[in-house]
Amino acid sequence: MSEIEQNHIFETWLDQYRALLFKVVRAYASTTMDQEDLFQEIIIQVWHSIPAFRQQCSNSTWLYRIALNTALKWGSKERKHADSQESLDNVQAILQETKVEVDERLTWLYEEIHKLDEVDRSITLLLLDGFSYKEMATIVGISESNIGVKINRIKKQLITKSKQQNYHGI
Amino acid sequence: MEFDELQKIWDSQTKEPLWAINENALYNHILAKKKQASHIANFSELLILIVYTGVGSLMIGLNVVKSTAGNLWLYLMAAWMLGTVFYVLTHRIRRLQGGNTFGRSLLGELDYAVLMATYQVRLSQLMRWNIVPVGILSLLGVWKVGQSIWLVLGLVLFFALSYFAGGWEHGIYTAKKRELEALRKKLEKE
Repeated sequence: MSEIEQNHIFETWLDQYRALLFKVVRAYASTTMDQEDLFQEIIIQVWHSIPAFRQQCSNSTWLYRIALNTALKWGSKERKHADSQESLDNVQAILQETKVEVDERLTWLYEEIHKLDEVDRSITLLLLDGFSYKEMATIVGISESNIGVKINRIKKQLITKSKQQNYHGI
Repeated sequence: MEFDELQKIWDSQTKEPLWAINENALYNHILAKKKQASHIANFSELLILIVYTGVGSLMIGLNVVKSTAGNLWLYLMAAWMLGTVFYVLTHRIRRLQGGNTFGRSLLGELDYAVLMATYQVRLSQLMRWNIVPVGILSLLGVWKVGQSIWLVLGLVLFFALSYFAGGWEHGIYTAKKRELEALRKKLEKE
Protein backbone atom coordinates (compact mmCIF):
# COMPACT_ATOMS: atom_id res chain seq x y z
CA MET A 1 0.00 0.00 0.00
CA SER A 2 1.37 3.40 -0.96
CA GLU A 3 1.60 6.23 1.55
CA ILE A 4 -0.88 8.26 -0.50
CA GLU A 5 -3.47 5.46 -0.25
CA GLN A 6 -2.78 5.10 3.46
CA ASN A 7 -3.23 8.84 4.00
CA HIS A 8 -6.46 8.81 1.99
CA ILE A 9 -7.95 5.97 4.08
CA PHE A 10 -6.78 7.66 7.27
CA GLU A 11 -8.45 10.96 6.33
CA THR A 12 -11.69 9.20 5.38
CA TRP A 13 -11.77 7.22 8.62
CA LEU A 14 -11.01 10.28 10.70
CA ASP A 15 -13.73 12.21 8.97
CA GLN A 16 -16.37 9.49 9.35
CA TYR A 17 -15.47 7.96 12.69
CA ARG A 18 -14.01 10.77 14.75
CA ALA A 19 -16.99 10.59 17.14
CA LEU A 20 -16.20 6.93 17.81
CA LEU A 21 -12.60 7.77 18.70
CA PHE A 22 -13.70 10.69 20.89
CA LYS A 23 -16.04 8.40 22.83
CA VAL A 24 -13.18 6.05 23.68
CA VAL A 25 -10.92 8.95 24.62
CA ARG A 26 -13.54 10.52 26.85
CA ALA A 27 -14.37 7.20 28.53
CA TYR A 28 -10.73 6.41 29.38
CA ALA A 29 -9.15 9.80 30.03
CA SER A 30 -10.53 12.57 32.19
CA THR A 31 -8.07 15.46 32.16
CA THR A 32 -7.35 17.55 29.06
CA MET A 33 -3.71 16.40 28.99
CA ASP A 34 -4.70 12.75 29.29
CA GLN A 35 -7.33 13.08 26.58
CA GLU A 36 -4.79 14.68 24.26
CA ASP A 37 -2.23 12.01 25.11
CA LEU A 38 -4.61 9.10 24.57
CA PHE A 39 -6.00 10.55 21.35
CA GLN A 40 -2.46 10.89 19.98
CA GLU A 41 -1.72 7.26 20.89
CA ILE A 42 -4.91 6.07 19.24
CA ILE A 43 -4.46 7.95 15.97
CA ILE A 44 -0.89 6.68 15.64
CA GLN A 45 -2.10 3.10 16.11
CA VAL A 46 -4.95 3.69 13.63
CA TRP A 47 -2.50 5.05 11.08
CA HIS A 48 -0.15 2.08 11.52
CA SER A 49 -3.04 -0.40 11.36
CA ILE A 50 -4.29 0.66 7.91
CA PRO A 51 -2.04 -1.68 5.82
CA ALA A 52 -3.14 -4.61 8.02
CA PHE A 53 -6.87 -3.95 7.46
CA ARG A 54 -8.27 -6.78 5.28
CA GLN A 55 -11.93 -5.69 5.36
CA GLN A 56 -12.93 -8.85 7.24
CA CYS A 57 -14.97 -6.66 9.57
CA SER A 58 -16.60 -3.24 9.27
CA ASN A 59 -14.51 -0.07 9.55
CA SER A 60 -16.16 0.85 12.84
CA THR A 61 -15.44 -2.59 14.36
CA TRP A 62 -11.81 -2.32 13.29
CA LEU A 63 -11.46 1.19 14.69
CA TYR A 64 -13.11 0.17 17.95
CA ARG A 65 -10.63 -2.70 18.28
CA ILE A 66 -7.65 -0.46 17.68
CA ALA A 67 -8.96 2.33 19.93
CA LEU A 68 -9.98 0.06 22.80
CA ASN A 69 -6.77 -1.97 22.67
CA THR A 70 -4.78 1.25 22.83
CA ALA A 71 -6.92 2.70 25.61
CA LEU A 72 -6.71 -0.49 27.71
CA LYS A 73 -2.92 -0.57 27.54
CA TRP A 74 -2.69 3.20 27.96
CA GLY A 75 -4.82 2.91 31.10
CA SER A 76 -2.42 0.38 32.58
CA LYS A 77 0.53 2.74 32.26
CA GLU A 78 1.72 4.71 35.24
CA ARG A 79 -0.56 7.53 36.43
CA LYS A 80 -0.80 10.15 33.73
CA HIS A 81 -1.06 13.89 34.04
CA ALA A 82 -3.84 13.90 36.64
CA ASP A 83 -1.71 15.65 39.25
CA SER A 84 0.70 17.22 36.84
CA GLN A 85 1.23 20.95 36.55
CA GLU A 86 2.40 20.41 32.99
CA SER A 87 0.80 22.93 30.68
CA LEU A 88 -0.64 22.44 27.22
CA ASP A 89 1.31 25.53 26.10
CA ASN A 90 4.37 23.35 25.46
CA VAL A 91 2.65 20.99 23.07
CA GLN A 92 0.78 21.61 19.86
CA ALA A 93 -2.71 20.48 20.82
CA ILE A 94 -4.51 18.26 18.33
CA LEU A 95 -7.89 18.38 20.05
CA GLN A 96 -9.65 21.71 20.28
CA GLU A 97 -12.84 22.04 22.27
CA THR A 98 -15.88 23.08 20.26
CA LYS A 99 -18.64 25.28 21.61
CA VAL A 100 -21.13 22.48 21.96
CA GLU A 101 -23.86 22.86 24.54
CA VAL A 102 -22.96 20.51 27.38
CA ASP A 103 -25.57 17.86 28.01
CA GLU A 104 -25.47 17.24 31.76
CA ARG A 105 -26.97 13.79 31.34
CA LEU A 106 -24.19 12.79 28.97
CA THR A 107 -21.58 14.19 31.37
CA TRP A 108 -23.19 12.12 34.14
CA LEU A 109 -23.14 9.01 31.92
CA TYR A 110 -19.41 9.47 31.21
CA GLU A 111 -18.74 9.93 34.92
CA GLU A 112 -20.46 6.62 35.61
CA ILE A 113 -18.58 4.88 32.80
CA HIS A 114 -15.35 6.25 34.22
CA LYS A 115 -16.12 4.64 37.57
CA LEU A 116 -16.19 1.18 35.94
CA ASP A 117 -12.98 -0.81 35.58
CA GLU A 118 -11.08 -0.64 32.27
CA VAL A 119 -12.60 -3.83 30.89
CA ASP A 120 -16.21 -2.96 31.75
CA ARG A 121 -15.70 0.46 30.18
CA SER A 122 -14.88 -1.19 26.83
CA ILE A 123 -17.95 -3.40 27.00
CA THR A 124 -20.17 -0.44 28.00
CA LEU A 125 -19.01 1.60 25.01
CA LEU A 126 -19.72 -1.27 22.63
CA LEU A 127 -23.08 -1.88 24.26
CA LEU A 128 -24.14 1.76 24.06
CA ASP A 129 -23.07 1.88 20.42
CA GLY A 130 -25.39 -1.01 19.64
CA PHE A 131 -22.94 -3.86 18.92
CA SER A 132 -24.45 -7.35 19.13
CA TYR A 133 -23.26 -9.88 21.75
CA LYS A 134 -21.55 -11.82 18.99
CA GLU A 135 -19.68 -8.77 17.70
CA MET A 136 -18.69 -7.80 21.23
CA ALA A 137 -17.44 -11.32 21.95
CA THR A 138 -15.25 -11.14 18.83
CA ILE A 139 -13.89 -7.69 19.64
CA VAL A 140 -13.20 -8.50 23.29
CA GLY A 141 -12.07 -12.10 22.74
CA ILE A 142 -14.25 -13.77 25.37
CA SER A 143 -17.35 -16.00 25.06
CA GLU A 144 -20.82 -14.59 24.33
CA SER A 145 -22.09 -15.99 27.63
CA ASN A 146 -19.33 -14.15 29.52
CA ILE A 147 -20.26 -10.98 27.63
CA GLY A 148 -23.89 -11.55 28.59
CA VAL A 149 -23.03 -11.87 32.29
CA LYS A 150 -20.94 -8.70 32.22
CA ILE A 151 -23.62 -6.75 30.32
CA ASN A 152 -26.37 -7.72 32.74
CA ARG A 153 -24.25 -6.51 35.64
CA ILE A 154 -23.30 -3.24 33.88
CA LYS A 155 -26.90 -2.52 32.80
CA LYS A 156 -28.23 -3.09 36.32
CA GLN A 157 -25.54 -0.86 37.75
CA LEU A 158 -26.19 2.00 35.30
CA ILE A 159 -29.96 1.82 35.65
CA THR A 160 -29.76 1.80 39.46
CA LYS A 161 -27.38 4.79 39.41
CA SER A 162 -29.61 6.70 37.00
CA LYS A 163 -32.55 6.20 39.34
CA GLN A 164 -30.52 7.47 42.27
CA GLN A 165 -29.46 10.52 40.29
CA ASN A 166 -32.85 11.41 38.81
CA TYR A 167 -32.33 15.09 39.65
CA HIS A 168 -30.05 15.09 36.61
CA GLY A 169 -33.20 14.68 34.56
CA ILE A 170 -32.37 11.18 33.32
CA MET B 1 -34.68 4.73 33.98
CA GLU B 2 -34.46 2.17 31.17
CA PHE B 3 -31.33 1.41 29.24
CA ASP B 4 -32.85 2.53 25.91
CA GLU B 5 -33.04 6.05 27.25
CA LEU B 6 -29.40 6.00 28.27
CA GLN B 7 -28.61 4.87 24.75
CA LYS B 8 -30.52 7.86 23.28
CA ILE B 9 -28.50 10.25 25.42
CA TRP B 10 -25.37 8.45 24.27
CA ASP B 11 -26.30 8.70 20.59
CA SER B 12 -26.90 12.46 20.83
CA GLN B 13 -23.15 13.17 20.99
CA THR B 14 -22.48 11.71 17.55
CA LYS B 15 -24.21 14.70 15.97
CA GLU B 16 -22.07 17.35 17.62
CA PRO B 17 -18.55 16.17 18.45
CA LEU B 18 -17.02 17.63 21.59
CA TRP B 19 -13.71 18.39 19.86
CA ALA B 20 -12.46 19.67 16.55
CA ILE B 21 -9.21 18.26 15.21
CA ASN B 22 -6.29 20.56 14.50
CA GLU B 23 -5.28 18.98 11.18
CA ASN B 24 -1.83 20.57 11.06
CA ALA B 25 -0.90 19.40 14.54
CA LEU B 26 -2.26 15.96 13.72
CA TYR B 27 -0.10 15.47 10.62
CA ASN B 28 2.97 16.89 12.31
CA HIS B 29 2.45 14.37 15.09
CA ILE B 30 2.04 11.45 12.70
CA LEU B 31 5.07 12.53 10.75
CA ALA B 32 7.14 12.71 13.93
CA LYS B 33 5.93 9.41 15.32
CA LYS B 34 5.51 7.08 12.39
CA LYS B 35 9.15 6.10 12.13
CA GLN B 36 9.87 6.28 15.80
CA ALA B 37 10.80 3.00 17.48
CA SER B 38 8.78 3.52 20.57
CA HIS B 39 9.13 0.29 22.47
CA ILE B 40 11.31 0.11 25.53
CA ALA B 41 12.23 -3.46 24.60
CA ASN B 42 13.67 -2.16 21.36
CA PHE B 43 15.83 0.39 23.16
CA SER B 44 17.09 -2.10 25.79
CA GLU B 45 17.96 -4.67 23.14
CA LEU B 46 19.79 -2.21 20.91
CA LEU B 47 21.73 -0.85 23.87
CA ILE B 48 22.78 -4.36 24.94
CA LEU B 49 23.69 -5.34 21.38
CA ILE B 50 25.81 -2.24 20.77
CA VAL B 51 27.57 -2.15 24.16
CA TYR B 52 28.25 -5.89 24.39
CA THR B 53 29.41 -6.21 20.77
CA GLY B 54 31.64 -3.15 21.17
CA VAL B 55 33.20 -4.19 24.48
CA GLY B 56 33.49 -7.88 23.51
CA SER B 57 35.23 -7.05 20.22
CA LEU B 58 37.49 -4.51 21.92
CA MET B 59 38.54 -7.13 24.49
CA ILE B 60 39.53 -9.59 21.77
CA GLY B 61 41.31 -6.86 19.80
CA LEU B 62 43.28 -5.65 22.81
CA ASN B 63 44.12 -9.21 23.84
CA VAL B 64 45.49 -10.01 20.42
CA VAL B 65 47.32 -6.74 19.70
CA LYS B 66 48.39 -5.41 23.10
CA SER B 67 50.52 -6.69 25.93
CA THR B 68 47.58 -8.41 27.61
CA ALA B 69 47.87 -11.20 25.04
CA GLY B 70 47.32 -14.56 26.62
CA ASN B 71 45.05 -13.28 29.41
CA LEU B 72 42.58 -16.14 29.51
CA TRP B 73 40.10 -14.28 31.76
CA LEU B 74 39.70 -11.45 29.26
CA TYR B 75 39.21 -13.93 26.41
CA LEU B 76 36.53 -15.67 28.47
CA MET B 77 34.82 -12.37 29.21
CA ALA B 78 34.80 -11.40 25.53
CA ALA B 79 33.35 -14.81 24.63
CA TRP B 80 30.68 -14.42 27.34
CA MET B 81 29.73 -10.97 26.06
CA LEU B 82 29.49 -12.07 22.44
CA GLY B 83 27.44 -15.10 23.57
CA THR B 84 25.03 -12.69 25.27
CA VAL B 85 24.80 -10.69 22.02
CA PHE B 86 23.88 -13.87 20.14
CA TYR B 87 21.21 -14.76 22.73
CA VAL B 88 19.63 -11.27 22.67
CA LEU B 89 19.79 -11.10 18.88
CA THR B 90 17.96 -14.41 18.35
CA HIS B 91 15.25 -13.39 20.84
CA ARG B 92 14.94 -9.97 19.20
CA ILE B 93 14.37 -11.54 15.77
CA ARG B 94 11.72 -13.86 17.25
CA ARG B 95 10.03 -10.92 18.99
CA LEU B 96 9.94 -8.76 15.86
CA GLN B 97 8.50 -11.60 13.79
CA GLY B 98 5.55 -11.89 16.19
CA GLY B 99 4.80 -8.20 16.50
CA ASN B 100 2.64 -5.59 14.76
CA THR B 101 -0.42 -7.74 14.31
CA PHE B 102 -3.31 -5.30 14.37
CA GLY B 103 -6.94 -6.18 14.74
CA ARG B 104 -6.52 -8.65 17.57
CA SER B 105 -9.28 -8.99 20.14
CA LEU B 106 -8.77 -7.18 23.45
CA LEU B 107 -7.86 -10.50 25.04
CA GLY B 108 -5.45 -11.33 22.19
CA GLU B 109 -3.82 -7.93 22.49
CA LEU B 110 -3.46 -8.31 26.25
CA ASP B 111 -1.99 -11.80 25.80
CA TYR B 112 0.58 -10.30 23.45
CA ALA B 113 1.30 -7.42 25.83
CA VAL B 114 1.82 -9.91 28.70
CA LEU B 115 4.13 -11.97 26.48
CA MET B 116 6.18 -8.86 25.68
CA ALA B 117 6.26 -7.83 29.34
CA THR B 118 7.42 -11.35 30.28
CA TYR B 119 10.19 -11.05 27.71
CA GLN B 120 11.20 -7.65 29.11
CA VAL B 121 11.23 -9.06 32.67
CA ARG B 122 13.40 -12.01 31.56
CA LEU B 123 15.74 -9.74 29.62
CA SER B 124 16.22 -7.36 32.55
CA GLN B 125 16.74 -10.32 34.91
CA LEU B 126 19.26 -11.86 32.54
CA MET B 127 21.17 -8.60 32.19
CA ARG B 128 21.18 -8.11 35.95
CA TRP B 129 22.64 -11.55 36.65
CA ASN B 130 24.98 -11.17 33.70
CA ILE B 131 26.77 -8.46 35.68
CA VAL B 132 28.06 -11.18 38.05
CA PRO B 133 30.10 -13.27 35.54
CA VAL B 134 31.19 -10.16 33.59
CA GLY B 135 32.29 -8.52 36.86
CA ILE B 136 34.17 -11.58 38.11
CA LEU B 137 35.93 -12.13 34.77
CA SER B 138 36.87 -8.43 34.56
CA LEU B 139 38.32 -8.46 38.06
CA LEU B 140 40.26 -11.65 37.36
CA GLY B 141 41.58 -10.14 34.13
CA VAL B 142 42.64 -6.93 35.88
CA TRP B 143 44.23 -8.92 38.73
CA LYS B 144 46.16 -11.05 36.23
CA VAL B 145 47.86 -7.98 34.68
CA GLY B 146 48.64 -6.57 38.13
CA GLN B 147 46.62 -3.35 38.10
CA SER B 148 46.33 -1.15 41.22
CA ILE B 149 44.00 -1.97 44.09
CA TRP B 150 42.12 1.31 43.44
CA LEU B 151 41.20 0.23 39.95
CA VAL B 152 39.97 -3.10 41.32
CA LEU B 153 37.91 -1.32 44.02
CA GLY B 154 36.54 1.10 41.43
CA LEU B 155 35.45 -1.83 39.28
CA VAL B 156 33.81 -3.58 42.25
CA LEU B 157 31.87 -0.39 43.03
CA PHE B 158 30.85 0.03 39.39
CA PHE B 159 29.56 -3.53 39.10
CA ALA B 160 27.75 -3.31 42.45
CA LEU B 161 25.97 -0.11 41.37
CA SER B 162 25.08 -1.65 38.01
CA TYR B 163 23.65 -4.68 39.81
CA PHE B 164 21.42 -2.53 42.05
CA ALA B 165 20.33 -0.30 39.15
CA GLY B 166 19.46 -3.49 37.25
CA GLY B 167 17.28 -4.58 40.17
CA TRP B 168 15.43 -1.27 40.12
CA GLU B 169 14.81 -1.55 36.37
CA HIS B 170 13.69 -5.17 36.75
CA GLY B 171 11.21 -4.09 39.44
CA ILE B 172 9.57 -1.59 37.06
CA TYR B 173 9.09 -4.23 34.36
CA THR B 174 7.76 -6.77 36.87
CA ALA B 175 5.18 -4.27 38.17
CA LYS B 176 4.08 -3.50 34.61
CA LYS B 177 3.71 -7.20 33.87
CA ARG B 178 1.61 -7.73 37.01
CA GLU B 179 -0.70 -4.87 35.99
CA LEU B 180 -1.25 -6.40 32.57
CA GLU B 181 -1.91 -9.83 34.09
CA ALA B 182 -4.45 -8.28 36.49
CA LEU B 183 -6.16 -6.61 33.55
CA ARG B 184 -6.27 -9.90 31.69
CA LYS B 185 -7.80 -11.63 34.72
CA LYS B 186 -10.49 -8.92 34.90
CA LEU B 187 -11.32 -9.46 31.25
CA GLU B 188 -11.87 -13.19 31.65
CA LYS B 189 -13.66 -13.00 34.98
CA GLU B 190 -17.48 -13.31 34.79
